[in-house]
Amino acid sequence: MDTELLSDTFIDLADTMVADFDVIDFLHMLADRSTQLLPVAAAGVLLADPRGQLRVAAASSEAAELVELFQIQDDQGPCLDCFRAGQPVSAPDLAGEEQRWPRFATAATQAGFTSVHALPMRLRDQVIGALNLFSAQTDPLGQADLRIGQALADVATIGLLQERNVRRAETLAEQLQVALNSRVVIEQAKGRLAERLGLDMDQAFALLRGQARNTNQRLTDVARYVIDSPTADFPTPAP
Amino acid sequence: MPEGRAAAAWGLVAKHAAAAGHRVSVADVCAVAVPSAGVSGAWVVAAGDQGPDFVICVTDPVSEQLAELQLTLGEGPCRDVLASASPVLASDLGDEQSGRRWPGFAAQARLLGAGALFAFPLTIGAIRAGVMGLYRGSPGPLSWERFGDALILADAATVLLLDGADHNGDGAAGPVLDGQSPGLALHRAEIDQATGMLTIQLNVPMAEAFARLRAYAYVHDRRLADVAADIVARRLRLHNDPGRAETS
Repeated sequence: MDTELLSDTFIDLADTMVADFDVIDFLHMLADRSTQLLPVAAAGVLLADPRGQLRVAAASSEAAELVELFQIQDDQGPCLDCFRAGQPVSAPDLAGEEQRWPRFATAATQAGFTSVHALPMRLRDQVIGALNLFSAQTDPLGQADLRIGQALADVATIGLLQERNVRRAETLAEQLQVALNSRVVIEQAKGRLAERLGLDMDQAFALLRGQARNTNQRLTDVARYVIDSPTADFPTPAP
Repeated sequence: MPEGRAAAAWGLVAKHAAAAGHRVSVADVCAVAVPSAGVSGAWVVAAGDQGPDFVICVTDPVSEQLAELQLTLGEGPCRDVLASASPVLASDLGDEQSGRRWPGFAAQARLLGAGALFAFPLTIGAIRAGVMGLYRGSPGPLSWERFGDALILADAATVLLLDGADHNGDGAAGPVLDGQSPGLALHRAEIDQATGMLTIQLNVPMAEAFARLRAYAYVHDRRLADVAADIVARRLRLHNDPGRAETS
């Protein structure tokens, strides 16, 4: 366990009062840091859409098969169970879970994962989403790891609310819709870049994210730029 | 589960249109939104890139005045919605926050009889079609459940506006009614990715790319999500000559 990274992560997740706060960048940080701090291969954040869906907001990788694993869970899987129960849901060994989640277990196994955990993002009595952790080993997370994972999810939930607005009950509902729509903007920009440059979606996302980091811009702003600008202005992959 | 909920909302909209004897339009969505969200009135404003443009439909005179007032004053929840792509839920127009945020609008809206106002962006990512507004005579929050229903109906209004169903009352509302309710499969990553890809393939803006994607699915009687998956996997390209969609 990298304790320095752990304490930095808690500070970063709590630091959401900055002027250029971007909810998608924030949730990507949660997914990335989860894979760095815990013995997991992939992480994703699913948010509860009041329309009655669980939707992918951020992931440590945008590989199509991983995104599909998140999307399936709108229908079945640990995140849906976690969301409904408001409790962590663990499958330390996916072999033998075909009964519980036929589609999900098969797809996860095919993607090379052998265990999965879903940790609730909870605000008082409401579950707003789940942090989803995948590993290629069986039973990778000990009790201490799970406590850290839950603490990350908890701090991120509070961060999402942005302290300055926390007294308004409506803020959470508004903020979640901004996050979900920003996610759509990013998907549209990925498609545009992928088609223009002959990339797959994972590569297109890496390009967007690299551009955001190199120019110190918010991911959503880079995505909007890609959508608004003529094709000649697109960022190009590093050689 | 979620598909059932969106389908139920679309069913109500289609039923309302059928009872009135016309094709489904944004006006039907507004009419259904009033009982669904438990509010007093609803309206939809179409918007270009520069902000709210013109009122498309209203359910009652107060809604009309509320919609027009925001266009006239240049302030109010509906204007904020387009700037942020976030819904604005003003559960009490008489509270301090509303007064500070919309000094002109909040007071006048209350004189018109509005206690609470909820505004929803009609957006799909970077695509902006307008705003749906709801008001209630009495203040009070929108429940999570009703908020969800309002979002589903806002999706319906978005798709109808993008299909141009309301420009002459005789638009392409057909696809909405044939069982391929757009709300059913709207929220999948492949649909957004395919829309982005089509902006390049067809050299069109995002809103038109989305309309073309839906039109292709409708004409070929296929699910939107399946067509989108084919485009993303590069099994299908669309061309500007409508007769020439190629499978490669």
